[in-house]
Amino acid sequence: MHIPDGFIPIAQCLVYYVILIVALYFSVKWARSNLDEKRIPLLAVLAAGIFAIMSMNMPIPFGTSGHMVGGALVAIVFLAPEAAVLVFTVVLLIQALIFGDGGITALGANVLNMAIIGGFVGLYTFKFLQGTIGKYPAAGIGAWLATVIAALACAIEMAIAGTFPVNVGIPSMVLYHFFIGIIEAVLTVIVLVALDKFRPDLLAWNKSEGDA
Amino acid sequence: MDKKDTYLIVVAVVICIVICCLSPYIASGDPDGLEKSAEDSGLAEDFSIEEIKGIPNAVFPDYAFANDPDNQALQIVALVIGAILTLVVGYGVAEIVRNR
Repeated sequence: MHIPDGFIPIAQCLVYYVILIVALYFSVKWARSNLDEKRIPLLAVLAAGIFAIMSMNMPIPFGTSGHMVGGALVAIVFLAPEAAVLVFTVVLLIQALIFGDGGITALGANVLNMAIIGGFVGLYTFKFLQGTIGKYPAAGIGAWLATVIAALACAIEMAIAGTFPVNVGIPSMVLYHFFIGIIEAVLTVIVLVALDKFRPDLLAWNKSEGDA
Repeated sequence: MDKKDTYLIVVAVVICIVICCLSPYIASGDPDGLEKSAEDSGLAEDFSIEEIKGIPNAVFPDYAFANDPDNQALQIVALVIGAILTLVVGYGVAEIVRNR
C-alpha cells in the first residue's frame, strides 16, 4: 500500500509530514528511555527483513497481489508502536529515495498508515485479545486487522485527496487487504514463534510478564 | 556485540538474501491492492493529481537497474544492496536514538 508521488496534493502531504514529525518526536523519546543496546541489532534486522519481504508480492484473488508490511510485528515485538515508526521511517525513506517505491512526498502518509495505524491497531488488538485467546492467535488477528484498518485509512486519505472516489476506493482497498491481511497474519506469527524459540530474551512480552 | 547478536544478524542477512534471490523470480507481478484500487477507480497508470516537480530519479527504479530493468540477476543485486543498506541505516539510527 505504498502511496506514490502524485496521489496526494502537496498541501495535504505537508499535513501528513507534520504527523510524521510529531510521531518521530515521541518515538525518539521512547527510544531514549526504552531502546537498550541489546535491542539495536533486533531493530536493524527487522528493518532489513521488512525491506526484503516487501519485495515478495504474493498472489491474492481478483488478479491482485500483496506483501507483508510488518508494522504490527514490530509494535508487538517491542510492545511499542514507537518502534514501528522508527523502523518504517528508515525503510520507507530508503524505498522512496533509492527504489522509487512509495512517494517521497507521500512519506508522511505511508508512515502514518503502515507504522502508526498498523502499529497501534496491531499492538492494541494483540493486548486486548492475548489474555483470552493466547498470544499467537492474538498477534495474528492483530496483524490482520492492522492491514485492513491501514488500508481503510489509506482509502480515506485517497478520498480526501480526490484520487479515489469513496464508493470505489473504500470497498476495493478493504476487500483486497482482507486477503493481504492473511499473509500478514501468517508471517507475523511465524516471525514471533521463531523469535520466541531462538531469542526469547529479545521479545518485550517476556520482559514485561514479570512486571504485569 | 555479543555472539548471540552477531548470530542474529548473520541469520537475518541470510534470510534477507534468500528472499531477495527468490523475489525477482517468484513474486507476483499482479498489481498490488492500492494499484488495483486505482484501476477500479478508473485511473490511468501514470495518474497524478498534481504534478510534483523536483523529485529525484530513483537510483534503482522498481528494484532494478535503470539501464536493464528486466535483468533478474541485477534485480537481485539491487534488492540485496537495499536490504544491507536498510540494515546499516537501521542500526545507525537505533544507535543514535538508544538510551544511554
